[in-house]
Amino acid sequence: MTDTDPQVADDGPVRFMPQLISLDYTVRTNPVAAAFGEALADGRITGHRCPSCSLVFVPPKGFCPICTIETTSADEVVIEDRGMVTAWTVLTPIQYHGQQERKDYALASILLVGADGTVGQQRLIDIPLDEIRPGLMVEAVWAAPEDRVADDRGYGLGTAIDGWKATGEPDAPASEYEGHTL
Amino acid sequence: MELLYRRSLGPVVGAFLTALREQRLLGSRTAEGRVICPPLEYDPDSGDAVDDLVEVGSAGVVTGWSWVAEPRAKHPLPHPFAWALVQLDGADTSMVHALDAGSLDAVRTGMRVQVRWAPERTGHITDIACFEPEAS
Repeated sequence: MTDTDPQVADDGPVRFMPQLISLDYTVRTNPVAAAFGEALADGRITGHRCPSCSLVFVPPKGFCPICTIETTSADEVVIEDRGMVTAWTVLTPIQYHGQQERKDYALASILLVGADGTVGQQRLIDIPLDEIRPGLMVEAVWAAPEDRVADDRGYGLGTAIDGWKATGEPDAPASEYEGHTL
Repeated sequence: MELLYRRSLGPVVGAFLTALREQRLLGSRTAEGRVICPPLEYDPDSGDAVDDLVEVGSAGVVTGWSWVAEPRAKHPLPHPFAWALVQLDGADTSMVHALDAGSLDAVRTGMRVQVRWAPERTGHITDIACFEPEAS
């Protein structure tokens, strides 16, 4: 039994009570996020290229936040499922209620080839934690098609991609990612 | 989204839940002799501390109720039921719990009900699975 175990296994006096508080959200998907999710289900990562400044945003927002103009499906471009690590965090999972992780792992921001912004919170797979570095080239490990569920809010890549593994290519030069590091 | 809280119970509520695990129901008896169930640490009339715990019956009378036609996921029963105030035999106050009455027509204030115990009890209010009409 641990401090977070909701079950009281012994027969002594009951001193604590586990109480699970939960909230169910229903989020209405917007059309841009829905189209992005459909493409992910097909194994494609898409973005919108701003018709004014030409920057490519992944996931697409439906607008360019710099030029403050609308972008539409006419501005859609397909991005490679390959890119470079720009920054990362190693997480040590605390075993709170609902925690699925057991060992240290890394989440990275990845600048995909063809995109002008990073996608964050991406799981790195089969890469020793002390070998992660800026410029490390990685490629997507796609989830099985039936498991590819997009985030309804249009953030991130949902469950479409299990994680990213090293491609073995030479690291990208700093000039390609230095504008995207923290 | 889910958050698991771990609440400390204190001597009175802790004893109440410990007794539930043993299929017993406790109330707290005030200086005036009123029995409060579920027990409180303080007499709500005087504010005096109460530490005299007494056993009450596992059956009682419905003093008020509200029908739930469409139970939600977190409700204790998956089918329509009543939230009922039940004054257990020997108690002077009522406790809220689910009443599995079958249908709206079967619920009325004043009806006799009894505890249906959960098959596995852990020292939680859910050790009372629900109340049910008293076997005649």
